Amino acid sequence: MRTLVSRLAVALLGLALVAALAAPVSAQKRGGTLTIVRPTDPVSLEPNLETTAPGAWVYFNMLEGLLTLDEKMQIKPVLATSYEVMSPTKVRFKLRPGVKFHDGTPFNAAAVKFTYDRALHGTPPARWASLAGSLAGAEVVDDLTVDILTREPYGPILRTLAMYCMGIVSPAAVQRLGADFSRAPVGTGPFKFVEWKTNTHVIIERHADYWGDKALVDRVIFKVVPEEGARMIALQTGDADMVLFPSPAQLPALRRDSKYTVHETTGIRVVFVGMHAGLPPLDDVRVRQALLHAVDRQAILDNIMEGSAGPARGVLAPGVFGYKDMQLDSVYPFDRARARALLGKAGFTPGPDGIMQKGGQRLSLSWIAARGRYPKDAEITEAVQAMFKDVGVEAKAQFLEWGTVFPQLRGNPLNHHLFTLGWVTSNADADYSLFALFHSKQVPPAGWNTSRYENPRLDTLVERARRSLNQTEREKLYGEAQDILAKEMVWIPVYTTKEIIVTRAAVKGFGIHPVEYNLALWKTWLDK
Amino acid sequence: MLTFTLRRLLLAVPVLLGVVFVVMLTVDLLPGDAVTLMLGEHATKDAVAALREHLGLDKPFVVRYLDYVGHLLRGDLGRSMQQNRPVAAELADAWPATLQLTVAALVIAAAVGIAAGVVSAVWPNSLFDAVARLASLFGLSMPIFWTGLVLIVVFSLWLNWLPVGGAGSFAHLVLPAVTLALPSVAMVARMTRAAVLDVLREDYVRTARAKGVGEVWVLGKHALRNAFIPILTLLGLQSGQLMGGAVLTETVFSWPGLGRLMVKAIFARDYVLLQGAVLVFALAFVVVNLLVDLSYGALDPRIARQG
Repeated sequence: MRTLVSRLAVALLGLALVAALAAPVSAQKRGGTLTIVRPTDPVSLEPNLETTAPGAWVYFNMLEGLLTLDEKMQIKPVLATSYEVMSPTKVRFKLRPGVKFHDGTPFNAAAVKFTYDRALHGTPPARWASLAGSLAGAEVVDDLTVDILTREPYGPILRTLAMYCMGIVSPAAVQRLGADFSRAPVGTGPFKFVEWKTNTHVIIERHADYWGDKALVDRVIFKVVPEEGARMIALQTGDADMVLFPSPAQLPALRRDSKYTVHETTGIRVVFVGMHAGLPPLDDVRVRQALLHAVDRQAILDNIMEGSAGPARGVLAPGVFGYKDMQLDSVYPFDRARARALLGKAGFTPGPDGIMQKGGQRLSLSWIAARGRYPKDAEITEAVQAMFKDVGVEAKAQFLEWGTVFPQLRGNPLNHHLFTLGWVTSNADADYSLFALFHSKQVPPAGWNTSRYENPRLDTLVERARRSLNQTEREKLYGEAQDILAKEMVWIPVYTTKEIIVTRAAVKGFGIHPVEYNLALWKTWLDK
Repeated sequence: MLTFTLRRLLLAVPVLLGVVFVVMLTVDLLPGDAVTLMLGEHATKDAVAALREHLGLDKPFVVRYLDYVGHLLRGDLGRSMQQNRPVAAELADAWPATLQLTVAALVIAAAVGIAAGVVSAVWPNSLFDAVARLASLFGLSMPIFWTGLVLIVVFSLWLNWLPVGGAGSFAHLVLPAVTLALPSVAMVARMTRAAVLDVLREDYVRTARAKGVGEVWVLGKHALRNAFIPILTLLGLQSGQLMGGAVLTETVFSWPGLGRLMVKAIFARDYVLLQGAVLVFALAFVVVNLLVDLSYGALDPRIARQG
């Protein structure tokens, strides 16, 4: 009898355990209001006028494009169901049938054409037109088929269409609302617009007739709280469930506290020290490589970034299509002896004041940097400056306002050896960085080749990759391009940004995205 | 009185036009321009040129100024460059919030400041006086930013009595109004104390007391009325201070007022929106000064006769 009871008890206990383990999976709840605090009010709620985060965070939940990038940076269909490359400048998309805009009008090929015509040929064109590269427009084939056209063969077209700002708008609503559309947009997304009180809040709610999996929370309120301290207090008092732009200083404490969840992932911006490859002595690759060996990048991550940034393994961030791990830490490890040896090979010898010199000329480099443009930009500039000194290289850094640094970098000639800069691969396609930053025709004032790097082999590779619509081939070409850059090194990549969002522990199902703007809230639910 | 008012209002016109000129010139001289900020660093040259032309930024400064003034005289404040929304609509959204905050702070400053000042003057060097003087020194020295955050920590985080920020109810107004009022309370209290002490030493006060007039009557009828002119001047000046201080208070307490609108406009180099906000501030200044001047006459008939 006794054994039977204990056996029964064990069995019951086992059942209870199984139930307990299974519980979190089935407990997904619907309803409730998710309150989000962030520092600034949107400029506008439609992409034609707003490409920055405060507006994008909201409209990304209301407007959908043909394609999107998921959290793993893979292309996923949204309003399109399939595509077919018709010619090097034409891609045909089949559209999702039965989709309606929030105002009840049907989504179709005409709406796609309307959206792109309005954005690309309006006066002035949409604020995102420069991001869209060669995108020329759309042609209606039939009600649910549309051709996307580019001015020239344009490999990045798919990732361009998957950008956060490529949402299709309701033509009827645009005609009805006119200029007011930018304050009350109508799309096909899982949430629809409710109210925007300037500098106070924006409210969106679940779109009940959504074509896909419906949003789990009833409403989302985006509140504006400009003061960082006040944002963090709002999270603690429960006035807010989610904080965008949390205070970096509080992250270690929040990570330890079970009342909160810190969501983080590697972003798509690389912050680096750029080298002017056309200005002696930096035209000598050995000097540039020596400077890479001189920098203890791990120390910068540990002591200056304090966990708020990830390592930079190359010139691209890992989420970007075409990224190749350049293995900088093993190819160019922090090694002062190797740095000095390379400088010696380049003809430099230690001078009387400890600074290397060649033919009586001291190895002295001038540097411009902004303060506060990128996280800790001035601090890393100062740290690298000190590290250079340890190998006998003098760097004279000038800290100026970003508004003053920008025209110098984009102007010609650039009279500085070094500059501190960050770069976001906006469409998550290597073209946006490797072409814009390293092609010889992109030397300022034409483009952003601020290193003034010129290499015909690299030009050919990135041009071919830009013109090809075969993604496998493109990936291979970008790999080769990065192999060249890894040998030539015209940057010292310092860190890759991290996206960080803090929620209360009751917020479940939220997945942070490497692209800051892609704040997807439809799978998020509240356990309270 | 009426001609005086009209003359003052007419004089305000060149003042406002001057303000517009200075603001526009300042934005023009600031590094960085609206279009680069709107389109981002990656914008193509063509896109930048097209938007500059659309916004009229390719025209010379003087043309833009005259253009703006021309529209202004027709009552058109223009459209915000960044948001393409009528500036009048933006201002209409924001100014009631700032007015509410400033008036609330002014009422607190006047009520608490005058009361504390009078009590201190009547019982100078008493314990109350010592505490009030120390407290006012504190109130004057603490930056709004700091006081605001401390009040949030105490009343929102610890006690959970009041919301962290935002607007909408009386509870939302309490912390920002008190924070904004604190330095003014201190100023008014100190000024009231000094003014009342001065008047209490006057001969007519001694005469009134000698006649056997009660102390309350002496204070209310003789002393306060005469001490009120410097206090009123100070309150007029303080209302200007309060509007300026509202920029910081609005930021700390997420209060949706003109100050934050201005900060937003400055960061975007949106001079059209900035002008609109500055004009409202300037106009408020002119009106408050006028009201103060007019009330002098009401308090002291000698001034009214001269005016």
